[in-house]
Amino acid sequence: MLVLLGLAVLITYLWSLPKPWHPDPRTSAELAREIVLPLYMGFLLPVICLGYASAAIADERTGETLVYLLTTNIPRPLVYLSKYAAALILTLGMALGGLGSLCLVPGKIGLEALGVFWPVTACATAAYVGLFLLFSAWVRRATFLSLAYALMIETLTGNIPGFVKRITVSFYAKSWLYESGEMLELAAKGVALSLFDPVSAATAQWVLGLASAGFIVLGMWIFSRKEYD
Amino acid sequence: MSSESTTMTALAEVRNVSKWFGPVMALNGVSLEIGSGITGLVGPNGAGKTTLLRLLTGQIKPSLGGIDVCGRDAWSPRAKDHIGLCPFGDATWDELSGRQLVRVTAGLRGFTGAEARRRAEAVLETVGMVDRANRPVRTYSKGMRQRIKLGQALIHDPDMLVLDEPLNGVDPVGCEELNDLFRTLAAQGKAVLVSSHILHEMDQLADRILFVCRGKLLASGPLEEIRDMLDDHPLKVRISCESPRWIGPQLLTLESVKSVSIETPRDLLLEVQNPSRFYAEFCEFAAGNDAQVQRFKATDTSTEAVFDYLMERAVRPE
Repeated sequence: MLVLLGLAVLITYLWSLPKPWHPDPRTSAELAREIVLPLYMGFLLPVICLGYASAAIADERTGETLVYLLTTNIPRPLVYLSKYAAALILTLGMALGGLGSLCLVPGKIGLEALGVFWPVTACATAAYVGLFLLFSAWVRRATFLSLAYALMIETLTGNIPGFVKRITVSFYAKSWLYESGEMLELAAKGVALSLFDPVSAATAQWVLGLASAGFIVLGMWIFSRKEYD
Repeated sequence: MSSESTTMTALAEVRNVSKWFGPVMALNGVSLEIGSGITGLVGPNGAGKTTLLRLLTGQIKPSLGGIDVCGRDAWSPRAKDHIGLCPFGDATWDELSGRQLVRVTAGLRGFTGAEARRRAEAVLETVGMVDRANRPVRTYSKGMRQRIKLGQALIHDPDMLVLDEPLNGVDPVGCEELNDLFRTLAAQGKAVLVSSHILHEMDQLADRILFVCRGKLLASGPLEEIRDMLDDHPLKVRISCESPRWIGPQLLTLESVKSVSIETPRDLLLEVQNPSRFYAEFCEFAAGNDAQVQRFKATDTSTEAVFDYLMERAVRPE
C-alpha cells in the first residue's frame, strides 16, 4: 500500500515540474482534474480501502485466529462493529494521509483541492470499508472479490453511461465533487455531463451515509449467523 | 451404549444433536452430558470430535437438536462465559509476547487494567510460563504454545475447559505436568473435556470416556464400566494362584470362560466372555473351591483395547 502511495506521490511530483510543453505553473484545478480525481479517487482510494477492510476478517479466518473472537462472550454483531471501527480508523488514516501527500507535493496549489476532496474521501472511505468488510465476513477470499468489484464494478460500470453506475460508490463521490468542486472545474461538460447525469451533493451524501449504514448492518447480520470453518 | 456409575451434575448437555455440512453428516443424533471431572473424547480422524467441540463452544449451530452449557444455549454469548477453549491449531497473534497475548485475551473477556494484569499473571503462574512470558509467541516451542493457549482458555476462570489435543507435541515431562494441572482443575469442580487421538493418555487421565465414530457416540462412561458392558467381546484375565493346574480345568466349566492357558507355573490366563457374569461366577467359584487366588487382573481394559473393539463393532455389518 505504501509502495502504491509512494508511486502516486512520485507521479504527482513529476507532473508538477515545469515542462517545455507546459512551462506555466500548475493550477489547483489542474491538480484536481488530472491527478486527484482520476488517480486518487478513481484508483487509489478503493485499493487502499480494500487492502485493509477485506483483510480484517478474512485474514483472521485464514490465520485461524478468528476462533478466539468467536468463542469470547462478546456478541458477534459487536465483534463485527469493532472490526469495522478499527478498519475504518486505519483506512481513514491511510486514505486522508495519502490524499494530503498528493495534494501537498505540488505546493500551495494543493490546499484548495485538499479542502474540497477530504470530506468526500472520508465519506467514500466509510462506504468502501463497509462494503469490503461485508465481503470479508461473507467469503473466505474476500480480497479477490473486493479487487474484482473495485476493477469491474467501480471502474467499468462507473464509467458506463446510463443508470447502472448508480450502484457504485464512486458515482456518488463524483457527483458530490462535481457540485462542491465547482471552483476547481471538476464537473464534466456538455454531452459528457448529460451522460454522467450526476445527482446533487446532498443526495450523494445521503446515499453514501445510508449505504455505509446498510453495509454495516448487513455485515453484522451475516457475521452473527455465519458458521466459520 | 452409556454407563454412568455416579450421579453427575451436567455442565453441558447435548440433546439428540445432528450436524450436516452440505451432504456430509458429521454428527448423527448424539446425546450426552458433561459434568465436572475429566472427560476424554476419543475417536479416529473424521469421527466428529472437532465438530462436537465446535458445537459445544458455540462456533457452529446444530442442524437438529440442542446444546446447553450451564443452562444456556451454547451459541449464546452468555454460555461462552462458562467455557474456555484451547483450540487444536497453533495459530495465534504471534507478534505478541506470551504475557501480552494473555492480557489481550483478558481484554477480550472484558477484564481491563489491574484486573487483566492480575488474571494474566495468575494464569501464567498456573501454566508455568511466568519466566518465558516476555518472549514473542513466534519463538515458542510447541509445548510452550500449548501452555500459553491453556492460559488463554483459563483467563476468565471458566466452569468448563474444552481442550482439543492439548498434549499434542508436548514432551513427556510437560505432558505429566499438564495432566496434573488438568486433574487439579477437575478437582476444583471444573469440567475438563479433552479430545485426544493418543488413546493411552486417557487410561490414566480421564474419569469418563466418550467414544465417537462416524458421527455417532458409540459409548460413554467410565472406561471399566464400558468394558464390562461389552458382553460379547473376550476379556483377558490373569490369575495368580497356588495351584493353577488344578484350578484351570475347573474354571473351564464356568459358562463365561472361553479358554484357559497356563502362562507360568503360578499364572493362568483366561479368556472370558461377558465380564459381569464372569466376575459373579468367579467369586462363587473362588469361595466354594478354596482357590487361594493371590492376584486377579484384567489385562486389556485399556482405552485402546476398548476403542479397537468399539471400532470393530461400528464397522461390522449388521
